[in-house]
Amino acid sequence: MKLVGVDVGSTTVKAVAVEDGRVLWQDYHRHNTKQAEMVLQFLERIESECGLAPGGDRIFFTGSGAGLIGPLVGGKFVQEVVAVAAAVERLHPGVRFVSEIGGEDMKTIFFTSTGNGKGKQVYMQSACSGGTGTFVEKTARKLQIPTEALCQMGYAGYSLHKISSKCGIFAEADSNTLVKTGVPVEEIIASLFEAVVYQNLATLTKGNTPMPEVLLLGGPNLFFKGLQEAWRHHLKNLWAQRRVPLPDGGEPESLIHVPADALYYACLGCVEVGREEAQAVGVYRGTQKLRWWVEEGQHEQKAKEGARGLVGGEGDLSSFTEQYGHSQRNGTAERSDIDRGAPVLVGCDFGSTTAKAVVLSEDKELLFSCYALSKGNPIEDAKALFRQIREAHFRRVGALALTGYGKDLLKDILGSDVAIVETVAHAAAALHVFPDADVICDVGGTDVKIMILRQGTVSDFRLNSQCSSGNGAFLQGVAERYDIPLERYADKAFLAKAMPTLAMGCGVFLQSDIVNQQRKGWSAEEIMASLAAVLPLNVWVYAGQLQNLGAVGRKFVLQGGTHRNLAVVKAQVDFITGKVPDAEIVVHPYSGEAGAIGAALCAFDRWRGGHPTRFRGFDTIEALTYTSTTSEHTVCHWCTCNCKRTFIDVQLPDAKGRTWSKVPIAEGWERVISGNSCPKGLVEDVNEMRVVKAKFEEVKRGYPNVAEMVRKDAFRRPKVAVSP
Amino acid sequence: MPRWFARTPSGDPKSRSHLRVGIPRLLNVWSTHQFWWGFLTALGIEGEAIVFSSDTSEDQNRQFGKGRGTVDCCYPVKCGAGHYGELVFGQKRKIDIFFSPMIYTLPSFLRGHVAETLSCPRVMAGPENIKAGFIKEKDVFAENGIRYVSPLVSLGEPLIVPKQLYETLKDVLPGLTLEETRRAVHEGYQTLQDFNERLRAKGREVLEACAREDKPCLLVLARPYHMDPGIGHEIEVDLQVYGYPILWVQYFPVDPDLLGWMFGEDIRAGIVKSPFDISDVWPSSYSSNTNEILWGAKVAARVPWIACVIRLSSYECGMDQPTYTPIQQIVERSGTLFFSFQDLDSTKPAGSVKIRVETIAHYLEKYSTEIIEKKKASMPPGCPLLRDP
Repeated sequence: MKLVGVDVGSTTVKAVAVEDGRVLWQDYHRHNTKQAEMVLQFLERIESECGLAPGGDRIFFTGSGAGLIGPLVGGKFVQEVVAVAAAVERLHPGVRFVSEIGGEDMKTIFFTSTGNGKGKQVYMQSACSGGTGTFVEKTARKLQIPTEALCQMGYAGYSLHKISSKCGIFAEADSNTLVKTGVPVEEIIASLFEAVVYQNLATLTKGNTPMPEVLLLGGPNLFFKGLQEAWRHHLKNLWAQRRVPLPDGGEPESLIHVPADALYYACLGCVEVGREEAQAVGVYRGTQKLRWWVEEGQHEQKAKEGARGLVGGEGDLSSFTEQYGHSQRNGTAERSDIDRGAPVLVGCDFGSTTAKAVVLSEDKELLFSCYALSKGNPIEDAKALFRQIREAHFRRVGALALTGYGKDLLKDILGSDVAIVETVAHAAAALHVFPDADVICDVGGTDVKIMILRQGTVSDFRLNSQCSSGNGAFLQGVAERYDIPLERYADKAFLAKAMPTLAMGCGVFLQSDIVNQQRKGWSAEEIMASLAAVLPLNVWVYAGQLQNLGAVGRKFVLQGGTHRNLAVVKAQVDFITGKVPDAEIVVHPYSGEAGAIGAALCAFDRWRGGHPTRFRGFDTIEALTYTSTTSEHTVCHWCTCNCKRTFIDVQLPDAKGRTWSKVPIAEGWERVISGNSCPKGLVEDVNEMRVVKAKFEEVKRGYPNVAEMVRKDAFRRPKVAVSP
Repeated sequence: MPRWFARTPSGDPKSRSHLRVGIPRLLNVWSTHQFWWGFLTALGIEGEAIVFSSDTSEDQNRQFGKGRGTVDCCYPVKCGAGHYGELVFGQKRKIDIFFSPMIYTLPSFLRGHVAETLSCPRVMAGPENIKAGFIKEKDVFAENGIRYVSPLVSLGEPLIVPKQLYETLKDVLPGLTLEETRRAVHEGYQTLQDFNERLRAKGREVLEACAREDKPCLLVLARPYHMDPGIGHEIEVDLQVYGYPILWVQYFPVDPDLLGWMFGEDIRAGIVKSPFDISDVWPSSYSSNTNEILWGAKVAARVPWIACVIRLSSYECGMDQPTYTPIQQIVERSGTLFFSFQDLDSTKPAGSVKIRVETIAHYLEKYSTEIIEKKKASMPPGCPLLRDP
């Protein structure tokens, strides 16, 4: 009798056939989301090459696709971790810790000896790409490293860089930044391996020490030489740190095993588990039903599974379009009735990917808007904006307001009257149009902000900063893939009568889910509809962590460029009214420019109060001279990331200069720091920190904080008591 | 000269003067610190030999606590692994006694006016939870020659405290008697009270200065351990440097004149029985720290110069959860600004804190004058903060 173990994973199918404890056949293959087809192929091969026969031989399945496919051929399902543990216990009795990394999941198993046998502690996660094989592969693909080369790339000896370990999409963005600053790809890949091991240790050890001996399983652990090196490095350090006794004369390296057949452990485990099962369990029934599934069944299933489209019918669409179809006004429309000589308010929003500017009239009316794609140099971005404002013939700036990431950098250089934090700017823009707003949902290309308003202030907000789930970049990416202009996204998506249900959560997995659905035969419109439909879930539930929308209010304002897309608005309206039946949902008339408009509005009071503007003027901005320095002296040393910053030094009449700096500038020059990855990097070095700290200390002396006294005095000899 | 040098404890304190005691700077120790100092020195432990672990930090956790963590979503408990590890492994001079009290009730200033002053059960039992990570694989304390002492102690009930402490310490401190323990406990309470009074006096100074100049100050409503830079991430300091004095509810002045002015009307109207009675807003007043935070919300609503309340709360705090709405409502109904930082965890989300702090600073600058004026218009007459010093 033959026993077959099949592991239907997220990226590959693996199988082994065993007879009398001897492996007759084993193979693995990427299935490119066609799991059932690949299993069918495998079974046919095993039938013809080793005589697998229905009725007598037995078959066991494990892996994410096993539940569906196994029963079609009579197979029994074995939970993945159970399978792996069974194989490890049989093949490696000395192993105490197993890490199995898969394409889209990761697991750890801790074996502890108890009185009678072994205890097992199992942890796994499969909701997020951080720590999985996809995490590395996605970036490697972007860097155009072929898989074969990736497998040979190392870890040991390379200098490491800070890469977001939690999100595959941000890791890719971090890697792009590193590439731009000239970091060799070898170092980037080494940093990715580091991030994977870090993420596994950080999230899947839960207080247990991985004790020797250690087994590394799964494709990524087997194929990526660098990943193995990273594990060895970390485990060795960990053992030294915790003084873990190593078996006699054991070199740490010799206690970490990566078996050559690491891939097949789940399959072998299936066989192990199967052996213990009753004879009638898992009897192979041939490929007939599976073949039917591949050829017909899965397509029927597709039709059944799908949700109805974004719109319920003609009536639904027309009432929606009536209400929201014209909610967007165009800020850039040329208007002839404007007095371009009258003073205007200018608001600029310097974001991480684009810079936007708006011009408001004295009556707070939007006259003009423009934008510039960020070139990584805030001075150039600012020049680009003001050039456009000037070309639109606005001559007198009454007040200038800045918001966004670049506001503090450019405040003095452009001569702005106010620098407003993003949240306040967005709230001001929303409240100006909808004074009774409760919640603002701003979805941009790369970020999601939810702002909860009370008493006319932003009392709470959610930003998704560690995870890319929910942002609008996806919609754009998919539209591009289908070669459909973003403006026509909604028209297309509304055509779908049905759509696949995409899983909420990790953007990386969403990408592969899309590919999967495509292969199942869903059309472009249907996939675009489903992508819009899943966005509110990602925004509110996954990224915003707001389960109870009713508790935050009933008037919702949708802002941000992504809400120009009516398909998204429709999905948002349906989602929100599903949770809050009496919700009122409105779209900001200038959703893309809300930040800049809000900033300008914040400058209004000041302007009306008669304060003269500090705006330096179009000519001065156009003529700004600057030098950029990127050298070993500009590297940030606040943490181990060592960001390679750029110092942009701008000539400004009243600037104080930085004579104490390693890159000194004389009086009359102002420094802008860019290329840093966190706010800390905006402070040049210890010298500047001293200056900043001294300033803080002086303020703090004037404004005491009771907790500082507790921190200072509570854990030491008491001060002389006041009471007698 | 402080008292505890003048008095000689009974027993033979010399035999204890060589002992080093390590106390993890954790949880309830953040409000009972000076009690332990007064208590231990009265028992003949040298001041220099009382070692508190350092403030919580990621470094501490990485260096000493990694892999010893417990399955607990409460970070203030979870970070204990780092503190424990630091006291065991990170001392130049080894400690002899590891002292980690499980505090059942607290000596809160609200005691007697509320139903109970219990600790959060998770916090109370925290030491047991953290200890597990140090004895699971092998007994780290025994291995390092350290006595682990973790008395269950009801600091809210001073009469039973001596017996509780005596029972756990008698085998550790040579020659200890119940009577000596009793005196030391008294010394502990006195030391803590002195400290609290000194800080309350500071709080009063701040309030008077604000009242005199009509300037705003901020009140932080949080648990005592949020003063730990690794737990509260010094978020209030980020606001302080914008030029706002910061008060904490734990050290709010409780002078009779001030209390009478704030709560006199409510007492006369029969709404509450005393200035510390919070039954009007929080009937199930069992948890000490929760009670204090609720009381703080009432105070914030009544003092015009508290223009803004900052609420800090740790990730998944089950004790804080039910208080969010009542506290927010009490504070906001008085026209006071209210901002909360919830879900605080091991890392300071620097980017989001920066944005939030800038947001708060913006609204404070814009509205605080207005808020103070509005609150002053409805305050009871005769504010003692405004009297000439």
